[in-house]
Amino acid sequence: MRSLRSSAPDPNLAHLDTNSLAADRRIRAEDRRLNALTALALASMLAAAGMIFLYAPQDALQGPVQRVFYLHVNSAIAAYVCFAMVVGGGAAYLWKESVRGDRLARAAATVGLVFTTNAFVMGMIWAKPIWNWDPSKTWDARVTSTAVLWVVYAGYLLVRRFATPGRPAMRLAAVVGIVGFVDVPVVHFSVQWWRTLHPGRVIDAPGGPALPPEMLLAFMVTMVAVLLLAGTLVAIRYRIEARRDQLEERAVAAQLELAASHGPR
Amino acid sequence: MTPAIRAEGLMQRFGALVALGPLDLELAPGERLAVLGSNGAGKTTLLRLLATAARPAAGRLDLLGLDSGRQRDRLRARLGYAGHQVGLYPALTALENLEFFARLHGLGRVDAASALELVGLASLAGRSVGQLSRGQQQRLSLGRAVLHRPELLVLDEPDASLDGEGRNLLGRLFGGRTVVMATHDSTLARQVCTRALLLRAGRAAGDPWSLRVVDA
Amino acid sequence: MQFLRVVFAVAQKDLRSELRARELLPALAQFVVLALVIANFAFDLDLVSGPRLSPGILWLVLVFAGLVAFGRAFAAEKESGSLEAMLLTPAGPAAIFAGKALASAALLVACEAVLLPAMAVFLGSPISATVVVTVLVATAGMASLGSLFAALAAQTRARDLLLPVLALPIWVPFVVVGGKAVQVAMSGQSLAALPLSSQPLIVMADFDILFLVVASLAARFVLDD
Repeated sequence: MRSLRSSAPDPNLAHLDTNSLAADRRIRAEDRRLNALTALALASMLAAAGMIFLYAPQDALQGPVQRVFYLHVNSAIAAYVCFAMVVGGGAAYLWKESVRGDRLARAAATVGLVFTTNAFVMGMIWAKPIWNWDPSKTWDARVTSTAVLWVVYAGYLLVRRFATPGRPAMRLAAVVGIVGFVDVPVVHFSVQWWRTLHPGRVIDAPGGPALPPEMLLAFMVTMVAVLLLAGTLVAIRYRIEARRDQLEERAVAAQLELAASHGPR
Repeated sequence: MTPAIRAEGLMQRFGALVALGPLDLELAPGERLAVLGSNGAGKTTLLRLLATAARPAAGRLDLLGLDSGRQRDRLRARLGYAGHQVGLYPALTALENLEFFARLHGLGRVDAASALELVGLASLAGRSVGQLSRGQQQRLSLGRAVLHRPELLVLDEPDASLDGEGRNLLGRLFGGRTVVMATHDSTLARQVCTRALLLRAGRAAGDPWSLRVVDA
Repeated sequence: MQFLRVVFAVAQKDLRSELRARELLPALAQFVVLALVIANFAFDLDLVSGPRLSPGILWLVLVFAGLVAFGRAFAAEKESGSLEAMLLTPAGPAAIFAGKALASAALLVACEAVLLPAMAVFLGSPISATVVVTVLVATAGMASLGSLFAALAAQTRARDLLLPVLALPIWVPFVVVGGKAVQVAMSGQSLAALPLSSQPLIVMADFDILFLVVASLAARFVLDD
C-alpha cells in the first residue's frame, strides 16, 4: 500500500494533473481529441439517418415501421458492448484493484442503460403493428434477455448509489455486473428452451432470411455510427468520473496537508 | 523483537473525508495501550483497522509480524475484538452463543464454557441473550473476544456498559496479552494500561502519560 | 473438513434461532394463506380455472416468499454486528455464506410444505411428485444467488428496494423452466418426448450448479472487504 506521506501523485490520476504547463498541453490535446470524436460520431449518425430514410428501400411486408429495425438492433448491440465494458471494468477492479477499471464500468453503465431502454422501446414500436403486442408471440428469448439486461443495469446503478461510497460501492457493483453477465445468457437459453415448446413468431428479420444489399449497407453504416456514438458517450462520461475522482483526491490531500502543518507529535 | 503492532502512514477515509491519519504506531508485545480522545476523534476507526474489521485506505499495518492486508485469515485466529456492537444472537443462550463462535474457531464446548466462567457469567449460561442486561451482553462479548486465547486484544470502550465488578474483570482478562483499548475513563485506563495515545481529529496528539513514570 | 463444519454450524445456528424466536415461519405461513385467498377472489377461481392458473400462482407466491425469507437472513445479522463477528474468525466468508444460504433454503422449503398442500386444498391444484421435485430443485437454485444478493443488499442503505431488483433477473430462468414443468405436470401432459438434456429438471439442475459456483466465488467479495 502506498504511503501517503510521500507526495507522489496517484498514478491513476496522473494524466489529469493540472499543475504544470505540460499538463495543460495534455488536457488541451485531450479536449481536441474528444471534440473530434464527438463531431465524427454526430456526422456518422447523420449519415446513418440519411441511409435509413433515403437510401434503404421500404420493406414490402412490414411497411415504413420496419425502418425502426436499424436503430433498434444496433442499440441492442451497443447496449451489450457497454455491458461488456461494465463487466470487464468490474472484473479488473476485483482482480487487480484497478480504479480505472471501475471508472470505465461507472462510465459505461449509464450509457448502456440508455441504449437498452432505447432498444426496448423501439422493439415495442416495431412489434406493435406486426404482432399487436400479443404476449404469446412477443416474449421471445431476445426480448426477455434485453428486458433482464435493463433490470441488471438498473440494479447496478442502484447499488452504486445506495452502497457506502468508495470500496464497498465498487466491490458490490462489480459483483452485480459479473453475476448479470452470467445471468443474461442463462435467461436467453431458458426462454429459447421454452420457445421450442411454443413455436413463436414467424417474421424475424425484415425481407426474409437474407437482407437485400441496400438494407445491409444501411444496417452496417448505422452500426458503425451507433457504436461511435456509444464510444463517445462513454469517453465523455469517463472523463467526468475522472474529474470527480480527482476532486475527491484533492479534498483528501488538502486535509492531509492541513493536518501535517499542525505538526506530528 | 517483532512488535505486536506496527503502523506506518496508516490512513482511513470515507469518501472525501479523512477520518484517521496519517498515523505511525508501534506497540511491543505485552504492552497495553489506552486510546483516548473525544467522540469523533477516530478511536473506533483506528480500532477497527487494528482488528482487521476494515482495510486502511493507505499506509502499512503489520500485526503480530504479519501483513494485515495479505494474512487476514491467519491473523483473525490470533486476534480478539469487542466493538461497539455486541453482535450476539438474542434467541440463543449465553452458552450457545459462545459454543457457536467456538465452533467457528475450530474449538469445542469446553473452551466456550471456560470463557463463560472467565467473564463471570457461568450462572447465566442457560439464559437467552435477549434477556440479558446490556452490561451482561457486553461481558459476554468480551468472553467471545478471549475465547480463542488471542495474542492481541482490541477493545472499543469495553467499560461503557460495565459495572464495577465488570471493570475488575478487565484486568483479569488481559493476562500477558497485548491490548489496545479505547476508553473515556482515564482512571480505568491508568489502572490497566501501560501506555496511552491521544487522538485528536484523526491524528496522534501524543502520549498524555509520557511525563509521568508508568509501572508496566 | 473445516469448511463443512462451519457451514453446518452456521446453518444450525440460524435454524435454531428461528425455531426459538418463531418470527419468520409464522409470517411466511400467513403470507401464503393470504396470497391464496386473494388469488381465489381476484381470479374468481373455480374447478376449471383453479388448476389452470395454479402454476402461475405457485411461482408468484414462491418468488415473494423467497424475497422475504432471504432478505431477512442477513438484515438482522448486519444490523446487530454478528455478521462481522463471524467474519472475524478463521471460518471464512464462503463457508459462512453457504451456511446462511442453506438455512434460508430450508426455511423456504418449510414454507413450501405449507404452500403446496394449501394449494391442493384451496385451489384444487393437482400437486404431484413431479411438482414437488421441480419446486425443490428450483428452490436450491434460487437460494444460492438469492442469498448472495440478500447479503449484498443488507450492506446498502436501501435493502428493501434493492433485493427485488437484484433477485428477479436471476430467478427468471427458474420461473420460465420450472413454470413450464409445473404447468405440464398439472395439466396431466408429459414432457417425456424431450431429449434428456432438455428435460426441465436437468436444465434447472444445470442452472443450480452454475449459480452455486458463481455464488461461492462471489461470496467473499460481497461479505468481506
